[in-house]
Amino acid sequence: MNFIYKPFYWSYRYASGLWYWLRRRFTLAGLCVAGGFVVAGAVGSDIENTVTYQSFSLLFALLLLALVSSLFFRARFSATRSLPRLGTAGQPLRYRVTVKNLTAKIQDGLTLIEELPDPRPAFEEWLAFQKAEGQRIRPFRVAQRRHRNPFRQANVKAAEVPTLAANGEAESQMEVLPLRRGILNFTGITLARPDPLGIFRSFSKVVAPQSVLILPKRYPLPPIALPGALRYQEGGVALAANIGRSEEFVALREYRHGDPLRHIHWRSWAKVGKPIVKEFEDEFFVRHALVLDTFDEEPNSEVLEEAVSVAASFACTVLTQESLLDLLFVGNQSYCFTAGRGLAHADQMLEILASVKNCADKKFEMLEQLVLNHVAAVSGCICVLQRWDGERQNLIKKLRTLDIPLMVLVVVRPGGKKPDAGILRDEPEIFHVLEIGKIEEELAKLK
Amino acid sequence: MFEISPVMKTPPLLLLATLLFWGWQSGFLIFGAIMGVILESARLIRLRWDLTADDFRRIWNFCVLLALALIIYTFSTNGAGGFTNSSVAEATRNLGASATIFLRWLPMTLFLFIAAQTFNERESIPLAAISFFARRAQQLNATPERHVDISYPYFMLCLFSAGVHVNEGTHSYFWGQAALIAWALWPLRSRRFGPMAWVGVLAAGILLGLSGQHGLGELQRLINGYNAQWMASMMRHRTDVSQSMTALGQIGKIKLSPQIVIRLETKNGSAPPGYLREASYRNYHPQKQTWYSGGSRNDFADISHAAGNEASWILLPGKTNTSAVNIACYLEGWSQDLSVPEGLLSLPTGSGRLENVPLDVASIKTNSTGAMLASGPGLMIFDALYGPGATIDSPPDNSTNHLDMIVPTNEAPALEKIISELNISGASEEQKLMAMQQFFAEKFSYSLWLGPDKVARTNETALSRFLLQSRSGHCEYFATATVLLLRELGIPARYAVGYAVHEPSSHGYVVRERDAHAWCLVWNEQAQAWEDFDTTPASWVATENSRASATQWLSDGWSWIKFQIAKFRWGQTSLRKYLLWALVPVLTFLLYRIIFRRKRKRRTKLKTSSSGEVTAWPGLDSEFFALERRLAARGMPRLPSEPMVGWLKRALSDPALADLRNPLKELLRLHYAYRFDPHGISVEQRKALALKTRICLDAMSQLARPSGAATLK
Repeated sequence: MNFIYKPFYWSYRYASGLWYWLRRRFTLAGLCVAGGFVVAGAVGSDIENTVTYQSFSLLFALLLLALVSSLFFRARFSATRSLPRLGTAGQPLRYRVTVKNLTAKIQDGLTLIEELPDPRPAFEEWLAFQKAEGQRIRPFRVAQRRHRNPFRQANVKAAEVPTLAANGEAESQMEVLPLRRGILNFTGITLARPDPLGIFRSFSKVVAPQSVLILPKRYPLPPIALPGALRYQEGGVALAANIGRSEEFVALREYRHGDPLRHIHWRSWAKVGKPIVKEFEDEFFVRHALVLDTFDEEPNSEVLEEAVSVAASFACTVLTQESLLDLLFVGNQSYCFTAGRGLAHADQMLEILASVKNCADKKFEMLEQLVLNHVAAVSGCICVLQRWDGERQNLIKKLRTLDIPLMVLVVVRPGGKKPDAGILRDEPEIFHVLEIGKIEEELAKLK
Repeated sequence: MFEISPVMKTPPLLLLATLLFWGWQSGFLIFGAIMGVILESARLIRLRWDLTADDFRRIWNFCVLLALALIIYTFSTNGAGGFTNSSVAEATRNLGASATIFLRWLPMTLFLFIAAQTFNERESIPLAAISFFARRAQQLNATPERHVDISYPYFMLCLFSAGVHVNEGTHSYFWGQAALIAWALWPLRSRRFGPMAWVGVLAAGILLGLSGQHGLGELQRLINGYNAQWMASMMRHRTDVSQSMTALGQIGKIKLSPQIVIRLETKNGSAPPGYLREASYRNYHPQKQTWYSGGSRNDFADISHAAGNEASWILLPGKTNTSAVNIACYLEGWSQDLSVPEGLLSLPTGSGRLENVPLDVASIKTNSTGAMLASGPGLMIFDALYGPGATIDSPPDNSTNHLDMIVPTNEAPALEKIISELNISGASEEQKLMAMQQFFAEKFSYSLWLGPDKVARTNETALSRFLLQSRSGHCEYFATATVLLLRELGIPARYAVGYAVHEPSSHGYVVRERDAHAWCLVWNEQAQAWEDFDTTPASWVATENSRASATQWLSDGWSWIKFQIAKFRWGQTSLRKYLLWALVPVLTFLLYRIIFRRKRKRRTKLKTSSSGEVTAWPGLDSEFFALERRLAARGMPRLPSEPMVGWLKRALSDPALADLRNPLKELLRLHYAYRFDPHGISVEQRKALALKTRICLDAMSQLARPSGAATLK
């Protein structure tokens, strides 16, 4: 049945390709001329009752001359970017591009355009997205359809290039708006020259592959009293090596089964004749688990994107010098990253979050297993979920049984019915539904 | 995706020049000048409105409604703008003329929108105001508002609108638009090239455009020629009064659409007519497989309507009509003389009178073979009164030509064989007809498939193959064969085309294009009248019906919609009269909303603020405000945005208030605490504020009023 979608896919592919070409090749004035040309052709088809065909003829001549003049741009350039290492989705990424004129002729009136890889997906990926949208939206509900393009990586703004002297170089300030987290690849840089009338551009391309990691979008969080209290940390000293309470001897006592051998006080044993061990002050500090639900069949789910953003917001805010944060999620395998108290920084956690993908081939039980294995050491658990179904409620139920303080955040699509709190009906303060589009408002209400 | 800036403003005076050009070309020079001056005055006048996206949306809706009203108006009235019942003929002079008026007026209908942009604080419009999809995207994706400048699109619109007039062969439009386009492009030129290069390229473009427009004329003529053929193939077959080409001898399947072409309602409980005839023919040309009427295309005589009743047209004076049927049919041709739709009426045989004919019918003519040609509205709804007996057809031709008795010589052998097979020599006329009917019903079958077996060999005609070999065919075979056989038997006959009526509908009967039929007219010597005589096997109706598709209800629904639109369009319903007048209050109401809604909103806001939430702010009932008013009355008003501390310090510089300095400062501290301290003030402090204020007010009233101070009210 998939072959039915093929014509739609090719229409999408060609139409978006044409529109991309038009927007790059024509200036705004050029688009007006081209649009006028089409309209004049339609209105002026009757040359006896209208004279609009004369506009058609003139605009066609102007377009033709502009196209012909684009064939005579033979300049050569080199270009290098000064890219930052990281960017953030939704935040403009600004950087400098140095352009060098490789000809002995002054180059003026140039525009610089970044080249990104073709964002149009393969048929299978496009089809998966269309089917997911089709399942979500009832037929013929145009109003429910959201105009979004999950495949587009970034919006690129063209920049003016200062006048380039013969064999000279100049710098331009570029601005790119990354739309998605992950690696943003650049393939090259294009220098565009408009024709004398200023309606059509001719291009000179420079190959310049480069990439930048785009971190997930973050939301500002209010000061949050996270659930849970100080917990004894088994490897406390090692973890608190840099900052925190230092090792402190408290007393000697008789050996009990299970005590580490390195704590045996050999001299006392020699004196007393039975094993005596040193007792230290236990290390207590806050350690939170940030559980990210990555279980959804849709590969480009906006719910996952928002869930990652919410997790990233917590990763940035919760990480203090005094606590630890474990990020738990399932990708190709189960992952647990710990940050805080000198182990790792927020940036590293954001870099990990930038690469998280939905896993459709694994079961939710894997995440449940991972969380339950780690839960003994944590003071509290923040769960960012993509839905609120039986499996997820079951996980939360088990965590409650273990008396783990919780904060449950469920990301939902806009306009839909809000899920019922279910097993958390008696504790509404720990259950939060975050509707896409209103997430910032909802997070601001957290206490 | 590569982004471009959507905001691009026209250079000064360009819109004024363009509107003047539009006014000159369209005959609205005064309007163009006024509109242009209003738009350009924005560069001198500082007045600006702060219009929201919602305001723009309402203005846009108003403009669209105005455009719709204009469409209805132009399509319902004549070029002069009158609105009368008899205007249909004028309005239909040229459908394009209505479109021309609409396009020519477009700059006026959209003027309010461009004016709103020009006099807005931000000289651009939110995209969401004109695009439903942009609005939805903004609501659902919470994307920032996008703005566009419509001055260049409006410039283009005016330019094209100026060109919507009859081509008089002058070049004024070309040079005018070339100058304006050059003006518009000048500020957008590339700074890489000097002005001379720009002028050079533009001049080359203009010369190329000038020569191109001559070539376009030739191209247009070519396309028109092709277009006419293409359109003709798309349109339904239209009956020609002078000839009827048959599909005899062709290979393939005859396919006609299920489109409803005629609607009938019987009157006074009478049965529907079996056939609706459009035309009849006399001469058959076997080589061309075509029937000819025997008269010229212009062989028509006018019929006049009854004296004193323009809705009644008498076809046969004095005839007794026993039945009546209401017929709705389309006139799909075009009268070059009258410039109105024209077409053949489909009438029952024996029609003597037409009643309730639309008043705007320009003429009804008939020819010697009974075809009825009407000119008037594209949809005709009328009552046909008919009965047995006399018809409007001329009697059999008794001249030397004997047009109603001619049998082509190459068909004669086959016909003679059939007659000998019938063995009816010596039978009465009635017996001959019955025998023929029986012969075709028993020995022939109906078929739409024209297979190779029906193709005539070198020494035979298609008709003789039908009669002697295949004995299977469609109605044209049967009708042609019957007419020629009757003539061979000495009975005058004619070949008739029209429709068979057999399909009941909710209120009457519908006739589809596939119900098109051919039969013959036979002369009844006793009654001295032509009568319908159909030898096509009755199974043809069932065969045609079996071709109905499962989605026929869909096309029927569409036919009904088209019928209703045609009724409205051609003034066959009274709705049209009232629609334009109904639009006036709607547009007035919309305009009222656009102008007054903002005020109402503001009023509502004020109302809300005085009665509702604002009182919830603490401290607004502080008595200190009375002191402020009193001091203002003494000539020390607090300036806007002046803090109370500063103002009080200024006010207390008055030596007369020296004694009140400390109490007033203390009161201000309490007032501030009452208003702004999150913990508020205690009950005692509140009482103290009220009491001390009253004391201060009393003390101030004892003081002499300073000269020049305002009176306290």
